[in-house]
Amino acid sequence: MQDVVNQVINTSFGWGWPSWAIALIGYLIVAALLFGIAPFQMLFLTLYERRAIARMQDRIGPNRVGPEGMFQPLADGVKIFTKEDIVPTAADQWVHFIAPCVVVAPTMFMFAVLPWGPGMVPVDMNLGLLFFFAISSVSAVGLMMAGWASSNKFALVGAMRAVAQMVSYEIPAVLSLLAIVLVTGSLSIVELINYQGGLFISTRDVASVPDWGLGWFIFSPVGFLAFIAFFIAALAEGERTPFDIPEADSEIVAGYMTEYSGMKFGLFYLAQYVLNFLLCAITSIIFFGGWQGPGVGWLYAQAITPVNPQGGWVFNVLAGVLGVFYFLTKTYGFFFVMVWIRGAYARLRIDQLMDFGWKFLIPLTLVNIFSAAIWVGLTKWGAADGLAFVEGWSPLVRWAAAFGVTLALNLGAYLFLARIFAQSQDERARQDDDVLEQLTNVA
Amino acid sequence: MTTETQHGSVIVMDRRRGKLRAGQGLLQGLRVVWDHWAGSFRKNDNFSKIHGTFTVEYPEERLPMPQAYRNMPVLLFDDESGHELCTGCYQCQRICPPQVIHITQAKDPVTGKMVPAATEFIIEYDACMSCGFCAEVCPFDSIKMDHVYELSTANRAALTMRKAQLNRSISYYTGIAPGLWAEVQAGAMKKLQGSIKRRPDVIGLAASLTEKIKARRLELAAAAAAAPAAAAVSAPAAPAAPAAKLTPEEKAAKLAAMKAANANKGAAPAPAEAPVALSPADAKAAKLAAIKAANANKGAAPAPAEAPVALSPADAKAAKLAAIKAANAAKQAEAAPVSVETAVATAPLDAKAARLAAIKAANAAKLAAEQGNNE
Repeated sequence: MQDVVNQVINTSFGWGWPSWAIALIGYLIVAALLFGIAPFQMLFLTLYERRAIARMQDRIGPNRVGPEGMFQPLADGVKIFTKEDIVPTAADQWVHFIAPCVVVAPTMFMFAVLPWGPGMVPVDMNLGLLFFFAISSVSAVGLMMAGWASSNKFALVGAMRAVAQMVSYEIPAVLSLLAIVLVTGSLSIVELINYQGGLFISTRDVASVPDWGLGWFIFSPVGFLAFIAFFIAALAEGERTPFDIPEADSEIVAGYMTEYSGMKFGLFYLAQYVLNFLLCAITSIIFFGGWQGPGVGWLYAQAITPVNPQGGWVFNVLAGVLGVFYFLTKTYGFFFVMVWIRGAYARLRIDQLMDFGWKFLIPLTLVNIFSAAIWVGLTKWGAADGLAFVEGWSPLVRWAAAFGVTLALNLGAYLFLARIFAQSQDERARQDDDVLEQLTNVA
Repeated sequence: MTTETQHGSVIVMDRRRGKLRAGQGLLQGLRVVWDHWAGSFRKNDNFSKIHGTFTVEYPEERLPMPQAYRNMPVLLFDDESGHELCTGCYQCQRICPPQVIHITQAKDPVTGKMVPAATEFIIEYDACMSCGFCAEVCPFDSIKMDHVYELSTANRAALTMRKAQLNRSISYYTGIAPGLWAEVQAGAMKKLQGSIKRRPDVIGLAASLTEKIKARRLELAAAAAAAPAAAAVSAPAAPAAPAAKLTPEEKAAKLAAMKAANANKGAAPAPAEAPVALSPADAKAAKLAAIKAANANKGAAPAPAEAPVALSPADAKAAKLAAIKAANAAKQAEAAPVSVETAVATAPLDAKAARLAAIKAANAAKLAAEQGNNE
């Protein structure tokens, strides 16, 4: 964006503005775009979810307001803006007021490192992934504030659950990403996407593979297991069914949102959907190549870039459009999967959630980090790193060996852990039955 | 998988519980939801299928109503004759649990007698509970349950339905419930023919059928115009003829004094139509008779009973006067028993005069009756 602004102001008009002004204008434009897009996205995600879940339940869903219900989100927005804002007298007024802002702000920050297309990233931070997940955890503070300030037992219980859930599922999420970071050797999200060119095999692993933009991590055993673990953790972090325990309506009214009404409630809702969108986006970026897809790499190579100033601006537009198309298709696809899972599964109990997170996902992701290390060793290391025997193998053989070993390791770990976990759950259910029997006998 | 048992075939769902590997059940769950999602783009018009949307998008699409669906009661009228089936028998009003039906029975304007029709029929739809008792109890199959359910309104008073708003044609009802009407048609139409025979003027015609009512009024007016032209020469009481036609004069003559008073109320419009109805001679005679009867009453009880015998409807006013006077006289007689003996002495003469007057009145009535028959 700054290149374009610089081009327009200093080259086309010849005004000769300083670079800090150019940077400021560029960031302002990007920020304005994102702050416009984020709530708008959220509005239409609600419609998307309602329509999709309705179809899964053999219904039609909201289709009255505008063609196919297009204006339903706007009607909802108008409704929520005109609602009365109620603050309980027992509430801590200021904390109650600030909490929604604290929840919404981090989700907006997360857009800062999100690449939409080739060269379309607000800030290419070399710690992008860390920034993304560090910031996303801040919203847990907002949730706790909301629950505490409401002075309501349901709100407090909901907030406790939300924080407990977020904290325990951060670990498998970050551990599964750690495996990917180990493979790419970078925390930059842009670098992560660039790594995923190729055709089923990344061009960084085997240089001779044609670059169709399909060398996604999902096609490697390490990436696949990381994807499964990460997506489950993302569901828990975004408080989606079957992990919507913090706002389980049947148990604790609406969790930490119980005492919120009007636009404050709307802000929580906004934060939740924006977070879901971002989690879907980051899933598609890390495991499905983001904007990578057939044609984008080639188009971007012809475009005006710092590397290639002599390119055609048409290719910038084409690469941008195609890249954003791929990216959003994948993202909305993952959102559909979230809705699909919501349509299929029942809510977990809080102890089941904790069991699953700590006893199954974390060991699995730890094994996956081990697999990732093997992958890196087999595909990249040489005699200098102490792996002399792979030196003579061709890149394809090295890739195949890495694939086989990590597949065997991950599959074995999954089957072993699944059996152990199932046994422990059965044992637990048996104990519960015993306790229940004792209790009923006493009664 | 279907299994035959002695009670018939039973569908056994194979849930493959024992064969599931860890995580496989979750995937099967996703599969089920996916099938429903993919199937939901078709409309499910066959209820044996489990996929596809069942939604009826109401304002645009509507389900056909079952014949026996009931919402609010309406009143039927016959398309051909325009006559309402309702006879005002009050059965529905009696049975109505929330008591929202109000009926006014039609009366003959001339004789004041009940006519098998309702002049007003009100149902308060806002309080009606749609139980359908009224339709069930109606012996003339006149009140039926409608299928219209879009009755919401901001104006509650508008839900008090009067007869004109309740009227529906039989053809409308056969449109919504052909089978139900076919069951009762023969009996209902037979009863309706009986009712029509006993309905004078335009009573019982559906109020909305203004052309039919106009035609009927013209018909009646033509008949009325024809009658005086034929009988004007000889009949002083001729304009009373149309009324006389409807009620047998003999029957009216047998009324007791109280009934004569009632008849007078019903006959009130008659003098307005024909102010010359009372022949002066008869009136004078009747008045004379009344006075004399009053006098006679003091001693002779049968006299007042005889006096009304002679009354024609046209003389009703005079008769009432006589009755009242007779009653007053009787009271006086009771109040002053001392004077009875003196009254008795003069009684025979007065009684004779009274009887004469009565005979004159009876003759006049007979004449009127003859004219009525001639018509």
